[in-house]
Amino acid sequence: MTTPRKPHVRRQYWNEPTMGWWERSYLLEVARGLAITGGVFLRNMGKWMTGRKGALTAYYPEEIRADYAAGNRGKHILTQRPDGRPQCVACNMCATVCPAQVIEIDAAFDPDDPAHPKYPSRFEIDYSRCVFCGFCVEACPEDAIRMVKETPDLPGFDRDRMWLGKEELLNWQPHADVAKPYPVRTVAEPGRSPDA
Amino acid sequence: MPEIFINGQAIEARDDQTVMEVAREHGHFIPYFCWHPQLSVVGNCRMCLVEVEGRGLDIACNMPVAKGMQVFTNSEEVQAHRKAILQFITLNHPVDCGICDKAGECTLQDYHYEYSGQRSLSHDEKVRSTKFYNLSNRILLDNERCILCLRCTRFTHEVSKSMALGVERRGDISNIRPVEDRPLSEDPYSDNIVDICPVGALLSRQFLHKSRVWFLQPTPSVCPGCARGCTVQIWHRKPEWKLKALDPRQNENIARVTPLDNPAVNGPWICNKGRDLAQMFERARADEPMLKGRPVAVPAALDEARRLIGAARHPVALVSNWGSNEELEAFKDKLGEVFHCFVKQDWQPQPGERIEDDLLIRGDKNPNTTRARELFGHAEPDFKDGTDLVLVWGEGFDFAGLPPRARIIFLNSYLQPENGHADVFLPVSIQTERHGHYTNFRGTVSAFEPCFEKKPGVLHAEDLIKALAAPARGHP
Repeated sequence: MTTPRKPHVRRQYWNEPTMGWWERSYLLEVARGLAITGGVFLRNMGKWMTGRKGALTAYYPEEIRADYAAGNRGKHILTQRPDGRPQCVACNMCATVCPAQVIEIDAAFDPDDPAHPKYPSRFEIDYSRCVFCGFCVEACPEDAIRMVKETPDLPGFDRDRMWLGKEELLNWQPHADVAKPYPVRTVAEPGRSPDA
Repeated sequence: MPEIFINGQAIEARDDQTVMEVAREHGHFIPYFCWHPQLSVVGNCRMCLVEVEGRGLDIACNMPVAKGMQVFTNSEEVQAHRKAILQFITLNHPVDCGICDKAGECTLQDYHYEYSGQRSLSHDEKVRSTKFYNLSNRILLDNERCILCLRCTRFTHEVSKSMALGVERRGDISNIRPVEDRPLSEDPYSDNIVDICPVGALLSRQFLHKSRVWFLQPTPSVCPGCARGCTVQIWHRKPEWKLKALDPRQNENIARVTPLDNPAVNGPWICNKGRDLAQMFERARADEPMLKGRPVAVPAALDEARRLIGAARHPVALVSNWGSNEELEAFKDKLGEVFHCFVKQDWQPQPGERIEDDLLIRGDKNPNTTRARELFGHAEPDFKDGTDLVLVWGEGFDFAGLPPRARIIFLNSYLQPENGHADVFLPVSIQTERHGHYTNFRGTVSAFEPCFEKKPGVLHAEDLIKALAAPARGHP
């Protein structure tokens, strides 16, 4: 004994459009829509011509959003030892875990520092392929790579120019770091003594 | 033939075997650091502990088989003791796997994850020792990572016989050190100790921090350095880990060469020359055909070569003994009747190189002389009067020895001054770009596989020979 199956009826998730005579007359509604967009356009243009900023548009790349969340995963930075050399030991854990395979590291040998004999001679990240997952930060055994909230900001017409190297990644200069003492700034800022 | 039981399985063992050997033969894995199939047994790492019924725990590597013995390789007691032994072995090990070149293929790392997984139980500071001790111009020694299994000292005493390494002092300040007056740099087999080191204590300078091993893949190949034809693994970057921003040569260069265990030819060893294959294969390459030094396209060069072959009355060919069996057979088959063929010695012993010894190294520094001689005879190159065309295949031949009026067709892989002097120059691929087989001096045939793509202007010698032969027969 098998019960006959009911034919499958697909559920409908939308409402049938209902239009009054005003909508059905078409041209009147088109004119109303044009009036809304035209009004916004003219209002913004008026503000722009009188020197005020109109719409909430950031003029990228000249302007950068200021309201990134504190935990936003943006551009990578390489942290430094107190003597200013990179914390990175070129173990390639980040390069190995990276799902987009965008990290490439050349390692070199430094016999003068027996505690850190391996260091990165080159460290390259391809931001045209980076997916900003943060696995590299998690995989790092040395707290050498972190992500700051600001985005890398590499607009361009050429994917090959969206790489950042060791020099750029080592530019991060915090006033203080909760994890470790940070290198003394070489360039004194106004109102800050160099050894502050 | 004593019958023994390993984990309950009845096994017929030979009288002279140890439990370790029997277990390995029958697929029961027993972990070990110091034991090595080709070296003597010292039994100092204690990792291969097994339980024997009625006798308690003992090391399998030094345990002769006895009739009816019941061996358990993975009982609870064995597992507990293995854990303790790994604690002991890593007591002063720095665990700097992140910067260690052995990481990824390290026995200690593998066993730790397999059998222990524990943090160190010790609260004492680790004993510090020498980092990067200069053993030779090829090898660095990190004494902190060393677990004193003594495989390296036994290798230099028993296999390479250079006696170059020894142990100084005792206890936790004990160190491997080179023996005075016996420099390891004079041992032509020294790099094998890097392979057999179960941890990252012995480091190859060539490979130091060059790449993590999991970015590399091995391709089976044959060392062309001498007539022994040792089977090797050529390690190169995996295609899925191709570098895009860094030096692109890293994608198509040999990262390192290791032996491929082959009891029929070389066992688990190769000599240092085999490790330096990169220097041989990564010389500047010729990648364009030329007519008297003028670069031309491949079809034009082939046409000119065919015309020369068709017009010649007494052509002579000098066949390379670096050609694979397939290439040499193709030459014999397609051009053997057109040319009067001689075998050419491409490579002569270099100054300072060990010529020959009892272990591996052979005096003939070419890989396939055996097959070439079988096909083309033992005669030395001889240019009779009237030789008007010479086909030279491979490097290492002085054109001054050729008859002055003979035209020259030259097949070579490398950028050399002779290339421009030939009437027709055709670039051919090297061993790392093609399939093939070499026959060693005993007649053992070993295969090699391609690691890299060849450049478009370069031809495989086998294809080239077939292309030269086809119309030459049609228009004699």
